[in-house]
Amino acid sequence: MLLLAVIHLGDEAYGVPISRQLEASRGRDVSVGSVYAALERLEAKGLVTSSLGDPTPERGGKAKRYFRITKEGLRQVHETRRVLTKLWQVLPELRLGSR
Amino acid sequence: MKRTEPPQFATRMLEHCTPADRHEVLSGDLLEEFRSGRSEAWYWRQVFAACAVSWTESLRARIPLFVFALIWSMLAPAWKVFIDGIESAPIIDRILDPLGILGAPPLLAGWLLLNGSFLWAGMLVYILTLSACGKVFRRNEVRRPFLLVPFVYAWVFGAWTFLCMLDWTTPFENGTFPATPLGQITGLGALEDAMRIPYIIALLAVFWNVIPRSKHAALSEAEMEQADSAAQSDPVALIANFDPFAVKRFFALMVGAGVINAMIAGFLLCGLPESHSPTLTSLLIRAVIYVAVGALAGVGGAWIYWKNPASPFRENPPIPFPHFALVCATAWVWVPCMIIFSEQVSPAAALVAMTGALILANGLRSVTASVFVPAQHDTSYLAPEEAEIFAESLYRAPHEVHGYLIAICVYAAGCALATRSNLTAAALLALGAFLFAWKRTFVQDKVLENSKVYKRGALRLALIAIPAVLVTIWALLDGVAHRNHLAEVNMALADNGTSANDGAQQKATDQASTNGVGGYESVILWPLPEKKQIIPPLTAQESLLAPGTTRPLIIPFDGPYWYIQPPNENPGPKAHQARGTPLGADIESSNSVPLTMEAHQTLGTAIHIARCREIQVGIENRDNKAGVIAIAVLLTDTASPEKPALYLGQQPIVSTEPEHFSFKTMPASETLYFAVPESTKIRKFNEINVMLLSDVEHALIAPKIAIRQFKLFPR
Repeated sequence: MLLLAVIHLGDEAYGVPISRQLEASRGRDVSVGSVYAALERLEAKGLVTSSLGDPTPERGGKAKRYFRITKEGLRQVHETRRVLTKLWQVLPELRLGSR
Repeated sequence: MKRTEPPQFATRMLEHCTPADRHEVLSGDLLEEFRSGRSEAWYWRQVFAACAVSWTESLRARIPLFVFALIWSMLAPAWKVFIDGIESAPIIDRILDPLGILGAPPLLAGWLLLNGSFLWAGMLVYILTLSACGKVFRRNEVRRPFLLVPFVYAWVFGAWTFLCMLDWTTPFENGTFPATPLGQITGLGALEDAMRIPYIIALLAVFWNVIPRSKHAALSEAEMEQADSAAQSDPVALIANFDPFAVKRFFALMVGAGVINAMIAGFLLCGLPESHSPTLTSLLIRAVIYVAVGALAGVGGAWIYWKNPASPFRENPPIPFPHFALVCATAWVWVPCMIIFSEQVSPAAALVAMTGALILANGLRSVTASVFVPAQHDTSYLAPEEAEIFAESLYRAPHEVHGYLIAICVYAAGCALATRSNLTAAALLALGAFLFAWKRTFVQDKVLENSKVYKRGALRLALIAIPAVLVTIWALLDGVAHRNHLAEVNMALADNGTSANDGAQQKATDQASTNGVGGYESVILWPLPEKKQIIPPLTAQESLLAPGTTRPLIIPFDGPYWYIQPPNENPGPKAHQARGTPLGADIESSNSVPLTMEAHQTLGTAIHIARCREIQVGIENRDNKAGVIAIAVLLTDTASPEKPALYLGQQPIVSTEPEHFSFKTMPASETLYFAVPESTKIRKFNEINVMLLSDVEHALIAPKIAIRQFKLFPR
């Protein structure tokens, strides 16, 4: 989900919009701290890279940390999608709400 | 009305509880969200979550270190036994004995080397093990812990020993290690664990910031390092990049190292003069030397840490070391006299520690004003955010956590003083005083030239050293008096022991002084008035065990209890008198001299020894302190000019013996039997004296044991 959010936000992928995106998708509060922890783990695995932006006054002079997906990250996303699609295809048709 | 600033305490918490590279961007994100309309509760939730995530990550990254430190420290007791074997080898004594006090530095170096070897071996095993598992260490990161670890261990060991001493339950003194190395390694006794803890802490401390990385992360870090190398080479930029929290931490480390070093030097070098009546000149010279020793040892300890390779102050110190040393020396000069006082169990140790801490905080605050952002008054409560509703801004009391801390320190120190834990009280009062002075010191904005700063520092040190020398003289004088008194006490105890056994203890010294040097005042405890309903003195001699009498004579006890300190044999005219029962009275020695408790029953008429076969002493025991107490009975004829006495021997109180000891909420009754010999030196007696002979546990606290009655059986 994090990788998809980063891809979706493009050049505007930093803590606040990523958290909002996740909140909107999941429908509940997301801890910004745990988002950073997860992003740092992805960065350690080489799936995303990060860079510091310029400090802005509305953030109390604190810089933003922008995340970008790497080629390896993109490959992982595609691979995950492919595996998930394959798994969904082999499932029998689900009838939600039927008896 | 919506606040535009998030809770300040939460922001501070975020800064201190999350990694430095994360809290900057994280606090910016949270502030942005808060200003876009989020609530304070949301902000607090985010801060707590971020802290929890950081702590979890931090601990998870160090799990291998924790596990390794625990496993390696299991070997510590065996290594300690090995070190003890080396230290007690005769050849070491032969080498060091001729050196006298000069032998201390090589001994200390050897001790550091031996303990360091154990830790170095452990660190090597740890690094090799993780490297074999595919983890990568940076050489720079590993080199520092290797150099630091013996000194960190020394510091931790000193602090740990100090902590154990505070509780008076030091496991280093009484315990022994198992005989076999396997037993030492697998043993989980208090002594073994106490030996392991400093090693665990030292390993964790030096390796805390050395987190092994995966090879991938190491490669990307190497690239980043290349990019940052230009910035790193600029020393000015380095200083600007100092984290104030890290600077504070290192200052605390330097000061702590100095204090510990000064204390070690104090314990090793600062003793009392051998003479029983030293001259004032000799005391003055000794005090000056001790004050200098305290200052120099403190400076030396701080210098070692200041200049070690891991110190951020080594290359670009925020203030020059001589300046720092001059300021801190004003506190370290108090350490020797504090130690001399503490060796006498004197509460003055706490006062001296507090004085030193006040002076230190005052000096440090002024000196480091240029390093830390000067304390600014919080004016946020004057912000006009409530001006729309109120004519004037509402006052919000500033958060002063330190106030609560100071209050807790003062109350805890009071409790510690009441229980005579003077070292604990000293530590607490020093902490409270330091916080108070740190917060209340007025920081001047003007910056002085270096030469002026040094001059002022030296003058301040000289001015503070004078009272420190005077207090040290006082401590020495008090110590000598205390030692002389203890010597008198020991002699008197030895004399009393022999004379009691000979049956000639009652040697009246009514005019003797009754107050100890330590300030203890003898106590006479009289029974409560209602007990006076049963009244000896006995009225008619004919009824007292007259020939042909078979019934025992019962004498309920109604005499006084004496709480005295040797060499005094009676409380004297100035003794404090009170009413009560020993079962409810808490009577303690106010100095380190043991107490003696006696009960005296005067009979109105003398009883012939020949008519009495046995005396049974009925007692009530409500003492809940473990330790065997015995009772000795002495019959005295005070009517005779020589006051002859007959010692009936001593009997242990069964309910105080370990196998019968239990916690008592109600007094336990017990009877002790004393046979009266038929032929004795004395013919009659008119006073029964009962002495309660305590063990070490009750030496300073009188036992809660009362005499109920005497039962005299006719022969």
